[in-house]
Amino acid sequence: MTEDRPLRYHETGNIHLDFHGATNTTIDFIVANYGVAVLHEIFEKVGKDVYADIRAHLIAGDAQELVRHWRHFFERENADFDIAVEGDEIVLTVRRCPAYAHVQKIAPSVSPWFCDQTVKTNEAMAEGSPFEVATEITGPGACRQIIRKRRP
Amino acid sequence: MIPSDHFQRFYNEVFKFLESQGEAALEAYWLEISKNQERHTLDLFRQEGFAGMEAYWTQIRHEENCELEIDRDDEKFELRMTKCPSLGKVLDSDAAPMGRYCDHCAGWIGPIMDKLGYHLVYDVIDRKQPQCVMRVFKDAGQAQAAEQDARLLMGWPGKPEVDKKR
Repeated sequence: MTEDRPLRYHETGNIHLDFHGATNTTIDFIVANYGVAVLHEIFEKVGKDVYADIRAHLIAGDAQELVRHWRHFFERENADFDIAVEGDEIVLTVRRCPAYAHVQKIAPSVSPWFCDQTVKTNEAMAEGSPFEVATEITGPGACRQIIRKRRP
Repeated sequence: MIPSDHFQRFYNEVFKFLESQGEAALEAYWLEISKNQERHTLDLFRQEGFAGMEAYWTQIRHEENCELEIDRDDEKFELRMTKCPSLGKVLDSDAAPMGRYCDHCAGWIGPIMDKLGYHLVYDVIDRKQPQCVMRVFKDAGQAQAAEQDARLLMGWPGKPEVDKKR
């Protein structure tokens, strides 16, 4: 069963939250020098190439690998979140995003495009699959991420 | 959220894009990351010198799960990375690695050391192996002598090359 198998990128050990600050700096640098479209192209590559395994599961009709990924990493970073099945949808509700919260703590400001890492990576992972993964930003450092079957 | 655990795999995609734009694009980015890292290092290194460097990289060893050894004396700070999780994750990825991934470390550390008047000698040894040796000297002559022993010596913005085997 999938639950017994490690994730493709199953991480253990300590975590270095300051990497979220470097992501924030990187996002602003790319937008300032190359524009938002290039930023989105980079996130598309992350979604399709780095997360090729999750994408392959989605294309095969299996959304659980993405759910396992969410649970593993949001637990590792001590997020305030839950994952629920609501009708035909799987909904990740993030009430406190650890990435956003850490950047607020260590950087002068959170990039206006910070959450694009989630929105665009989700879109790219799901592209070409029977699912869409939509992201609704519900507040600063809060969102809902929804896996649902695409409408024909 | 791209997990902090996966920053390196995102970083790798950024490097690949910037490399396609030319060397100046990469160096501009390293400088931006260097400025970001000043928030965590500049005052510490300025006020506490090699002891501050040891404190910073000891925390990095813990948080990033590195295997590294640190030595320092009055003249030199030396860090020997024997298992770099950053390159390790990039090599263990479904996305192709950027061939010069390792260059970013000297790319951000070098400008900080220059700003503080230290002399960095950064030996990546082999870009396909997750190991490196970083030495920081107070004396320029000692640094120049140490450069002779490096196997793959890194440059950084403001210190033009050395040996960038592409």
